[in-house]
Amino acid sequence: MSLICENIVKTYSGKEVLRQVSLELQPGKIYGLIGRNGAGKTTLLSILTAQNPATQGTVSLDGQPVWENRASLKQLCFSRELNANAESGLASMKAKEYLRIAATYYEGWDKDLEKRLIQLFALDVKKKMGKLSKGMLSMITIIVALCAKAPYTFLDEPVAGLDVVAREQFYRLLLEEYAATGRTFLISTHIIEEAADVLEDVIILHEGKILVTGNTQAFVDSACHVSGRAEEVDAAVAGLETHYPETIGRSKGVTVFLKPGQSIDGSRDVSIQPVNLQRAFVALCGEEARHEA
Amino acid sequence: MNERLTEQKSIYLQISEMIETDILREILLEEEQVPSTNELAKLYTINPATAAKGVGLLVDEDILYKRRGIGMFVSKGAREKILAKRRAAFAENHIAPLLAEARSLGISKEELLNMIGESSI
Repeated sequence: MSLICENIVKTYSGKEVLRQVSLELQPGKIYGLIGRNGAGKTTLLSILTAQNPATQGTVSLDGQPVWENRASLKQLCFSRELNANAESGLASMKAKEYLRIAATYYEGWDKDLEKRLIQLFALDVKKKMGKLSKGMLSMITIIVALCAKAPYTFLDEPVAGLDVVAREQFYRLLLEEYAATGRTFLISTHIIEEAADVLEDVIILHEGKILVTGNTQAFVDSACHVSGRAEEVDAAVAGLETHYPETIGRSKGVTVFLKPGQSIDGSRDVSIQPVNLQRAFVALCGEEARHEA
Repeated sequence: MNERLTEQKSIYLQISEMIETDILREILLEEEQVPSTNELAKLYTINPATAAKGVGLLVDEDILYKRRGIGMFVSKGAREKILAKRRAAFAENHIAPLLAEARSLGISKEELLNMIGESSI
């Protein structure tokens, strides 16, 4: 029962936001979707959950197209990042009314969990959505995602605006729910390092294209930072995929991505250090920004 | 079991080493149950698959064993096994980097042995 999208293209007034995106989400995994602002993350999530039509390509769940397919849609929950400004029409709605609508929409809604989470987050649900802070709106999106009990649940920036204690609390709640149900979660976030150890698989989206998809640990293990005298570094990494070179005087540092079977020439006098997911991501997706700075 | 995770090493290796260290220190005793992968996942906020991989390494080495439907337990003789393993790896993990640093600082073998002689263990 996989959720599969094939060759998704999305254009907004002539501009290609997603370019030939293909992806398979397997049941029972926690996925992370990372990418820079404007990479196409929210567009991809809304297309995967049939809230937005693709210009080209198909999305199917268990072999059935999800578009206007009630049976498939019941399996999916996309808890969007909420924006309660005046134009959105949400501002004058009370938080508890919003949650009641969500409870009506999702057949498997867990009322007890909803009560527990409202208490845990000390959320005043009598308040109007327009009066809630960014962090409180994130709490609402988390409550919807966890209580909807959909087998495939997508969270767009669930920790935006949350303080560090609440962010840790969210990841623990997520793991608790995951351990109890084995639901599939896909989470997009900019606070990469805090999420890295929770994500079994990582998907890196860059300028509308998928750069990386696979086991998070394997991806992190494939990357390392090599530094030392510039000539030694160049010799040690010759023929390998390198990104984000930095030099100062005679010294050079570079991030290397090793393919299976490749290794760094250990006879050279260089330092080889592990990198974390965040550094690996910056090395892959931050190169142009660095050149322009 | 309450050490902090670092970024220097894969998380699953750190999980298995932490369980080993707790067995060495007799925080975990032989024939005693170890925390489940879900408990470890929640404690460290890591994916349960990562915790399971760390625990799996120790099962492969007969340091832990599975009791069906109950959970993971510390094997008899686990402590001895870990001691033997860590002693065997001592030279590679600790002596080799010590010698490399000594060499780059120009410390002779004799000076090094003197330093070790003067240190209290």
